[in-house]
Amino acid sequence: MKILVIEDDKTVGEYVRRGLDEAGYHVDLVGDGDEGLRRASGKGSSYDMMVLDLRLPRLSGIEVLRTLRDRGVGLPVLVLTAQDSVDFKVQALRMGADDYVTKPFAFEELLARVEALGRRPKAIAPPTLKVNGLVLDTGSREVTRDGKRIELTPKEYAVLEYLMRHQGRVMSRTLITEYAWDYHFDPGTNIVDVVITRLRKKIDQAKEPKLIHTVRGVGYVVRT
Amino acid sequence: MESIRGRLTLWYATALILSIAVFAVVLYFARRSATYQDLDRRIQSEADLTAGILAESYRARGTLVEKDTSGRPFLTAEVAAVLEVVPDYLLVTSRDGRLLFASPDARALTFGEFEQLITITQPPTGAGSHTTGRYRVAPNGPTLHYIVRAVPDAGDQFGAIFAGANTRSAELQLEQLVLTILVAFFVGVVPAILVGGWLAGRAMEPVDRMITEVREITDGRSLHRRLAMPMARDELARLAETVNQMMTRLERSFAALRRFTADASHELKTPLTVVRAGVERAITRPGMPQEALAPLEETLQQVNRMTELLDSLLTLARADEGRAELHREPVDMREIVEEAGETGELLAEHAGVGIEIRLPAEPLVLAVDRSRIRQLALNLIENAVKYTPRGGQVSVELAGNDGRVVFTVADTGIGIAPGDLPHVFDRFWRADSARTRTSERAGTGLGLAICKWIAEAHGGTIEVQSRPGRGTTFTVGLPRTETSSH
Repeated sequence: MKILVIEDDKTVGEYVRRGLDEAGYHVDLVGDGDEGLRRASGKGSSYDMMVLDLRLPRLSGIEVLRTLRDRGVGLPVLVLTAQDSVDFKVQALRMGADDYVTKPFAFEELLARVEALGRRPKAIAPPTLKVNGLVLDTGSREVTRDGKRIELTPKEYAVLEYLMRHQGRVMSRTLITEYAWDYHFDPGTNIVDVVITRLRKKIDQAKEPKLIHTVRGVGYVVRT
Repeated sequence: MESIRGRLTLWYATALILSIAVFAVVLYFARRSATYQDLDRRIQSEADLTAGILAESYRARGTLVEKDTSGRPFLTAEVAAVLEVVPDYLLVTSRDGRLLFASPDARALTFGEFEQLITITQPPTGAGSHTTGRYRVAPNGPTLHYIVRAVPDAGDQFGAIFAGANTRSAELQLEQLVLTILVAFFVGVVPAILVGGWLAGRAMEPVDRMITEVREITDGRSLHRRLAMPMARDELARLAETVNQMMTRLERSFAALRRFTADASHELKTPLTVVRAGVERAITRPGMPQEALAPLEETLQQVNRMTELLDSLLTLARADEGRAELHREPVDMREIVEEAGETGELLAEHAGVGIEIRLPAEPLVLAVDRSRIRQLALNLIENAVKYTPRGGQVSVELAGNDGRVVFTVADTGIGIAPGDLPHVFDRFWRADSARTRTSERAGTGLGLAICKWIAEAHGGTIEVQSRPGRGTTFTVGLPRTETSSH
């Protein structure tokens, strides 16, 4: 799956490119609207999706979008915008954008929207996540360990799913909070710690090996 | 008086009444003095006439005083007949003080009253001079203006002439005058005040119109409109012009604020995105040493806090302009509160606080902005847990009655001082003394301001009740009618 990213800020562009690359997408990054438009609507264009920053030098994102749609290109477009006002988003959607992500965004959010737009969640996120005897079915939202069913509350499920999706990697408290709660919800107290305590009781208590590990001062990791 | 119109009318009426009163008083006294002068002239001429008749008769006939059989003196009948026609009170006495003649009016008096008059009728000391005075005949009798004069050219038969006139007629004239003034006052002044009030109202009418227009314009959405300019170049036209100029400047500064809001969004958020991107990439890179992860996590947390603050500021800035933006959709309020409730339970568990969440059995579907209402619920629940000491209790309740959905968050926490209560929804407000003491970190100070905006943007209300040491209750009421319109 090929994605064209049009973003003039090199750091952000590179971040999106590498992130999507790691998630298994083929990504091309261009820095301005003219170039992006040429690539997306040119002959032999083989892109499956476009990630478009709305504020670009010379040709603005809105103009790129309008020209693209005028030329009859139906490529799904995910818009990146710093404007979180509703009317601005509505304007972008009217111009033919398929979805938007507001800056600054967590990469997880961008990825989720790209997956949704690309309509291929299965290839990116397997329906069943497994770590040792712990199995999480993202379709039925069922969790079992060694075949025994474990009942989880929605937040417990969300935290566990996030950690299992990135098994073996340290996920910081902030990243976990962002994923399981609203992006801007920052309760100050370490609510993640409370959820982890509960998860440990349900998953790791009296079982070996322990699957949830603490990384002091940072966050947690799920691994054997 | 609440209005200029009322004050104008009051001043006008006072001035009118005062000037008419002064005029009436002056008129009355002038009229009074003229009336009494007339009276005095009348008795003077009566006395002079009598003296003349007596002198004339004396020159023609010599003696004028005869004596009756009992030796009592009286005025010769022919002369008496002439004096009979003189009006008012007329007495003529002899040199030894005995009465020679009394006019019909005088004769009508009682004996005692009559005797009194005679004692007054003493000839004045200097020849040709006279005395004047005022004399009340009896407690209820007539008051007389009188003159007493000598009779120099009639031999030595006469003592003095007393001429007096009743003041009653003069008093009657003055009473008439007072009555006329009073009638004129009421007939003239009352309509004049009414007309004055009406005129003042008419004069103020354009001002009222202007007030209405300005109010319509300044609701935040129609700043491009201007006041209609009156035709005349009067004070009101100048006022309208000034207001219009002011509105032009307001419009400009609002536009500048809008531009700033948009620019700030972009200029501040793009660098934040860059920072975030770098930190997130580094933090999720496999094999990063743990010493490096901790500061990265700290940075990420601060980036999020800054983003949150920025979002709150921009939201409130837009709300100030009246551009409240809500993405409404039908939502079962129970879902939102349940989800926020679970977070509340986690927070409460961490803080050692009990929490109870009561939801109605039936769905409560409202057309609301889901993420905003969620923010509202989370904010209130988080606050309640934060300011409730270990062992306390937090109750969250969602209830729907006829026209409203009521969301209540009550705690048994430290409470808010009565003096601080009116300010809890103010921006950046924090009761530094008490409310930050138990908190692990200070919030942005915008949470409750945002909550208030969210409730009001949905057409609802937010209220707070609190007693220090006992706890705080926040009540959010949302109108239910919105469901049908969306």
